[in-house]
Amino acid sequence: MEQLTEILDKLYRMTAFSDIIADPAFLIMYALAFVLLYLGIVKKYEPLLLVPIAFGVLLANFPGGEMGVIQADSEGLVTLADGTKTSIWGMPLHEIAHEFGLMNFLYYMLIKTGFLPPVIFMGVGALTDFGPMLRNLRLSIFGAAAQFGIFAVLLAAILMGFTPQEAASLGIIGGADGPTAIFTTIKLAPHLLGPIAIAAYSYMALVPVIIPLVVKLTCTKKELMINMKEQEKLHPSTTEIKNLRVLKIIFPIAVTTVVALFVPTAVPLVGMLMFGNLIKEIGADTSRLFDAASNSIMNAATIFLGLCVGGTMTAEAFLNLQTIGIVIGGFLAFALSITSGICMVKVFNLFTKKKINPLIGATGLSAVPMASRVCNDIATKYDVKNHVLNYCMASNISGVIGSAVAAGVLISFLG
Amino acid sequence: MENISLAFQLMIVGMVTVFIILLVVIQLGKGLIKLVNKLAPEETAAPQKAASRQQPAGIDARTQAVINEAVNRITGGKGRISKIQSL
Repeated sequence: MEQLTEILDKLYRMTAFSDIIADPAFLIMYALAFVLLYLGIVKKYEPLLLVPIAFGVLLANFPGGEMGVIQADSEGLVTLADGTKTSIWGMPLHEIAHEFGLMNFLYYMLIKTGFLPPVIFMGVGALTDFGPMLRNLRLSIFGAAAQFGIFAVLLAAILMGFTPQEAASLGIIGGADGPTAIFTTIKLAPHLLGPIAIAAYSYMALVPVIIPLVVKLTCTKKELMINMKEQEKLHPSTTEIKNLRVLKIIFPIAVTTVVALFVPTAVPLVGMLMFGNLIKEIGADTSRLFDAASNSIMNAATIFLGLCVGGTMTAEAFLNLQTIGIVIGGFLAFALSITSGICMVKVFNLFTKKKINPLIGATGLSAVPMASRVCNDIATKYDVKNHVLNYCMASNISGVIGSAVAAGVLISFLG
Repeated sequence: MENISLAFQLMIVGMVTVFIILLVVIQLGKGLIKLVNKLAPEETAAPQKAASRQQPAGIDARTQAVINEAVNRITGGKGRISKIQSL
């Protein structure tokens, strides 16, 4: 009888139940994973990202599964199974896999090295059309105004007690650009990667809710009815593009060169974005590269990025006050970025005859092309003929460059 | 206090940098438009003309336009449609 009890006890300890009962915090993480899976699968909020992230959360929180990412301390030290401490940077990858499991191998190889975000940017570049931006170059400046939320929340986060590196990683959520937020956080505050990635992608998924809310609070009906096409007819542009195809090929090369000279730390992001766009615009000669960048590589990178980000969200790392601060701060950063874009349009309209719809300022944050689609829907609600999509895309695309540059500034000052 | 002054410094430097870079990108774009308009003013629209001359019987204009567009997209405007045949 005693032997049977011992066997049953060993069996009980072998399963995850003993650890879960000893630390019920795991249950909260399962609930969070299920909510995220629900949002991704049923509500279709960014399913390509939320589903891998949510599943990663689930995998990371099964005790004994060794799928949770362990974060090294500020000196890069981690505790081994025998209790000794060693520097993670001195460990070969196969040893990381052996000692800490598959997810840590993937995380330290693909994420911690900063490899995946630029690869995803390459895919984003391959899927981006700079045509609307080139046709409406003057609207691109609103992509700069909408980065204000990043720096305003950085200041607020420092006042709340975050370190400058943590505050910068939190503020970058206001750029509304997942890969940029992840890239900055890896460089500045890797221990916050999980909550920051979740906040960034959740708010991006909530763009159809957040933008209308901010627009409603800051814009009048008269402003939202400004018809961009009519303004174009009243004050026609003097610039005519005679060969858009050649222009689209030269543009990414020129932008990469200029950005690289001014903000070298933004090159991994902007450079890969422009490379992806270049192989798209060249056409048939690089169509195979374009296909790989926009499909197979992009998809594989998204899977591993999502799973690894989810893997960082262990109960121990996620359930604390800092996470709540990140969720609130992320929302503020997002809302402030939209507001500052709108405000700049309003100021602009005070001094120009050719009026601009404030929705163009609201799309100055990244979240391409969802932000533009949402703003187009808002404009057509007030006037069915007022399609602002192409104009919004101009500031929306420049917002991607703007947030990457802002990230470059933060990394060079705080990294 | 030191961190707050750093935050203000970052805000000013960051926003100024982002504005300058995007202003440079805008001016660069304008310069490139002028340069391209001067040096390569015409789009290569030859494939569509070539294809339209050979519209076979049984293929309506809409289908042909779709095929032309698809070929132009995939080949970046360099492809030629020599023959369209119903299978």
